[in-house]
Amino acid sequence: MSVAVGSRSIRLERRLHVDPRRSALIRVIGLLASLVVVALLLAITGRDVPVLAGEILDTTLGTSFGLQSTAVLATPILLDAIAVAIPLRMRLWNIGVEGQFYVGALAAAGVGIYVDAPGPILLVLMALAGALGGALWILVPALARAFWNVNEIITTLLLNFVAIQWVTWFSIGPWRDKEAEVVSATPEVGARLPVLIENGILHIGFFLPLILAAAFFVVFRSWRWGYEVDMIGGNPRAAEFAGVDVRRRIMSVMLLSGALAGISGMVHLSGASGRLQGTISNQYGLSGFIVAALAGASFVALIAGGLFIALLLASGVALQGVGLSVYIVLAVYGLALIGIGVGEMASRYRLTIGDRREHPVGSERGPP
Amino acid sequence: MSIEDLFAAIRTAIDAGVVIAFAGSGELLAERVGVLNLGQEGLIGIGAVTAVLAADAGAGPWVAFVVGMAAAGLMGFLFAVSVVVIRTNQVLTGLAVVLTGVGLSNQIGNGFQGSPVMHTFETLRIPFLADIPQLGPALFNHSPPVYLCYIALPVVVWFLLFRTRHGMNLRAVGQDPAAADAAGINVTGIRLAYTTIGSALSGAGGAFLMLDLTPVWSVNVARSRGWVALALVIFAAWRPALLVVGAFLFGALDSLNFLIQRLNLGIPSSLLKMMPYIVTLALIIVPAVLTRFGFKGRSTVAPGALAQPYFREER
Amino acid sequence: MSSSDDTRTERAGAGDTVVEALGITKSFDEVLALDRVDLDLARGEVHALLGENGAGKTTISNVLAGIYRPDAGVIRVDREERHFRSPAAAIEAGIGMVHQHFRLIKPMTVAENIHLGWADTPGVITRTMLEERTARVMDEVGLHVDPAAEIWQLSVGEQQRVEITRTLARGARILILDEPTAVLTAQEARELFTVMRGLVAGGRTVVFISHKLNEVLEVSDRITVLRGGRNVVTRPTYGATPRELARLMTGEAREVTADARAAPGDQPVLTIEGMTARGARGSIALHDLSLTVYSGEIVGIAGVSGNGQTELAEVVAGLRRPDEGRILIGGVEHTLSSPRRVVDAGVGHIPEDRLGVGLVRTAQVRDNAVLRSYWNSDNSGRLGLHRGRIAEFARRLVESARVQTSSIHATAGHLSGGNQQRLIAGREALIADRVFIANQPTRGLDVHSTQDVRESLLARRAAGCAVLLISDDLDEVLEMSDRILVMYEGSVNGEFRRGAADRERIGLLMGGHVAEAELESGAR
Repeated sequence: MSVAVGSRSIRLERRLHVDPRRSALIRVIGLLASLVVVALLLAITGRDVPVLAGEILDTTLGTSFGLQSTAVLATPILLDAIAVAIPLRMRLWNIGVEGQFYVGALAAAGVGIYVDAPGPILLVLMALAGALGGALWILVPALARAFWNVNEIITTLLLNFVAIQWVTWFSIGPWRDKEAEVVSATPEVGARLPVLIENGILHIGFFLPLILAAAFFVVFRSWRWGYEVDMIGGNPRAAEFAGVDVRRRIMSVMLLSGALAGISGMVHLSGASGRLQGTISNQYGLSGFIVAALAGASFVALIAGGLFIALLLASGVALQGVGLSVYIVLAVYGLALIGIGVGEMASRYRLTIGDRREHPVGSERGPP
Repeated sequence: MSIEDLFAAIRTAIDAGVVIAFAGSGELLAERVGVLNLGQEGLIGIGAVTAVLAADAGAGPWVAFVVGMAAAGLMGFLFAVSVVVIRTNQVLTGLAVVLTGVGLSNQIGNGFQGSPVMHTFETLRIPFLADIPQLGPALFNHSPPVYLCYIALPVVVWFLLFRTRHGMNLRAVGQDPAAADAAGINVTGIRLAYTTIGSALSGAGGAFLMLDLTPVWSVNVARSRGWVALALVIFAAWRPALLVVGAFLFGALDSLNFLIQRLNLGIPSSLLKMMPYIVTLALIIVPAVLTRFGFKGRSTVAPGALAQPYFREER
Repeated sequence: MSSSDDTRTERAGAGDTVVEALGITKSFDEVLALDRVDLDLARGEVHALLGENGAGKTTISNVLAGIYRPDAGVIRVDREERHFRSPAAAIEAGIGMVHQHFRLIKPMTVAENIHLGWADTPGVITRTMLEERTARVMDEVGLHVDPAAEIWQLSVGEQQRVEITRTLARGARILILDEPTAVLTAQEARELFTVMRGLVAGGRTVVFISHKLNEVLEVSDRITVLRGGRNVVTRPTYGATPRELARLMTGEAREVTADARAAPGDQPVLTIEGMTARGARGSIALHDLSLTVYSGEIVGIAGVSGNGQTELAEVVAGLRRPDEGRILIGGVEHTLSSPRRVVDAGVGHIPEDRLGVGLVRTAQVRDNAVLRSYWNSDNSGRLGLHRGRIAEFARRLVESARVQTSSIHATAGHLSGGNQQRLIAGREALIADRVFIANQPTRGLDVHSTQDVRESLLARRAAGCAVLLISDDLDEVLEMSDRILVMYEGSVNGEFRRGAADRERIGLLMGGHVAEAELESGAR
């Protein structure tokens, strides 16, 4: 697009080669820019920004409890982000991780409450149940996509809402904790993930996303499976030409994604929450999806992004102290997203000021 | 259950469906030009909270209604610029609108929790028709925006899309922006315009919420109705008339909920809440499966270029 | 030949000049695409623009059609100087262009497409009204397609007619057709030529852009040859020979002809028996087809695209399951083999759809280089891919195939078409120990890339490979093949040895006129 200013024009030209490092840098700049906007808005409404910033950092990273809370918050977000990132490499958008998280938590809760087994074994069973639950929840959208080319964004999105209702029903209905006064949650599950610090809340589940990210990094770099997934993402027909069964791979990748999200649900249930309830997730799936989409193919960016978002969301408490509601965090979140998104597009274009030029149109690259 | 109950339920359903009818019609326009705007939930919130602000400042219901539309329209315009001009990813930017919209509206509305909105819409009784026994009061005794959204809006949208040259060009943009551009149609302008108009309509839904349906602010006032509106557009196969019928049906599920709980029919409210989504899901999947097995329906119903940003250079 | 020859002799140069372009220069970045090109178009003529890819014929047309603005030069229409700021301005002056890739909206109807973005369309419309108006326009123009049909339902030839009608309806007196026969069957091309002559008989001008010598000789009144952005010559068609035109187009006589001395072996390497298979739309594409290719020979499949050639290639390469029949490679059954098994059996395949099937555009050159061999023991082991060895392999491939790229990490989509095809051809040649299938390997390529691809085919033949060359360029088939098979409607209906190949009989067989071909041969 171009804007004419007299006989010259300012135009945005698409860059041929996008340097990933440059792209990452500009995205960070976009993020910082939106934070600056937020800071300005806060300043205009009379808040003391530096003090506020200090308080935020203090609450989130300054205390042991703060650090732990941030990490506990980051765990489901990161796991969900990984669950999204894998199919994303094949251009499959699993926005349904929230629902798969719920169903995974549901299945894990079922096992955790009603199955009698020693701790570690119960945890393993719960994890299997969680994976199975998540995979089952994505099964119909996966089939619909693999075999009938139905867009997975809509199908997985719709199932999110169904899943939330299922879990709500179970936790206020058949599985309700009848002994406690609590009306809308299940009893505690039989086994919990151990915490790292005495009397703390940081549980070992926090390491799972870090391990998985490292593992998948290797997979996509050096394994045939990873190469094939990337090739399908680039051009499914060429992947078929390479002998890959694309439909099968769509199924397996989507089921894997669902399973990972289900495990994320189980980890949060047994690590942080303890009981199943309709509000067990605070939009972790949404954040996970956003982090994965922004991180692109980089697992490093994914981890960094997830930790940052957790930090942002955790800072809501500090903001309440200055009369802002927790909700403002969401708005900031949204602005940050826009800032990064704009940054990403900016990195793909270059601004040139000059005489009007045209682009060669032709079937071959280069001038016709 | 008596006949009175049934018609009362119909009346409630009509009112309940207005929010999603407005938001759905708005999204229908946006999607018809190829833009997927996931931000409905946030736009409804913004429309609602600004209407409340206007009413609080002493404005009458119509002014507040328009203010709500304008605010959501502005937000929609920013979204449109982002995805159409700068070409950010539509899914992500739509989610950003949800977050920002919900966050901002909750923040601003915080002070209004629990206090009723002062100037709400008065019902407009349609003479003659409202006198029909039973049916009359149920259908023809509503506030003006209800008639707007169930009658005027679908007619206008239908006429625009299918009976005007401009509407044909508009549909072309949604199907194949490159071809539309080549035919001399202003793709960018049309996408910007209708995404903005669509967002304003979502704001209208939010404003109506505060000015008639439940005239008291609460947190997350949209209550997932924005997401239902998205499902509704697909359910209605992007057709304006079907859309408001569907909005009524989805609204009916809402009001049916109350009825069914009252009657102790044993259907959990959660199950009813799932229904719009499950039905829409089935409506998406079943035709696709049937086509695969030989049933040749019409060519794809969805706007072909939905959610694809248009890059003129990439021909 | 035909009587139209005579009318053309009479009319050569007889019409008034309707468009004059003088000294047109155009650059893109640093590349000079047009270098002071002069061109004049007369009323009532079919004027061919002949040239290789990159010669500038599409560029000069885009300038005339208002899509580009020239850096220098003057355009006169009816002796009046014009500056086109946009395609709309050019249309107003009467110049319209129909591009290779149609700009039609598939789910909308013919009538809607014709009225799209057209100021003449009334503000309020109904479907019936549009269809009636369309029918009227079509009557005027002389082309007919069902106005109520949706574009996706039409054949390519019919879609092209819709595009042409669109342009003419907007008042184009000078119609530029960019490589219109590239997407047509022979029959449709015939019909198009009839339409073209009909249009010019009514006083219009048709500019016919092509690189196909025979078509240009058949249908045009005058020819302008462009090479390297310059107008090499403008001359009447009458009296021009293919040899001469080819020389003017390419500027050099570098020709690759198969070495007639090399004799094929007597080992059947690829055997197909009674093959019946369906195509993408479910209809029968191969009908009880049988053929054999021996080691060290090139068998050329002549025929119009769409007679089952692609399905044949796909079936052998493992990309399509046949209904009936057998495929033997080196005596081993491979009828239902997967693409990978077929590769392991030593069969290379240059697919017809280079970008759609042969390459992953967004991936690096390196990844594309091993696309069809990443699983073998050289490139991967039990623990995964051998990145070092793969990089080495890619480098060697790029060098030996003469792919011009800055590094193996460059994105494949950024290579030129010729280099992309070199990459694909080189990759497949390495796989092709036993059999090499090349489906339209040089379509749309520039001279040098074409040479390189053909050389790789010959090299494989020399190495004892059985080469199957499918091409709708009959000249290419005649030049390269040891044996020629003609395919029509899914089976082979004629076979010729090198030297005994008769263009006319092949042409008849390609058109399905078996009986006439036999009659002809009987008459000799």
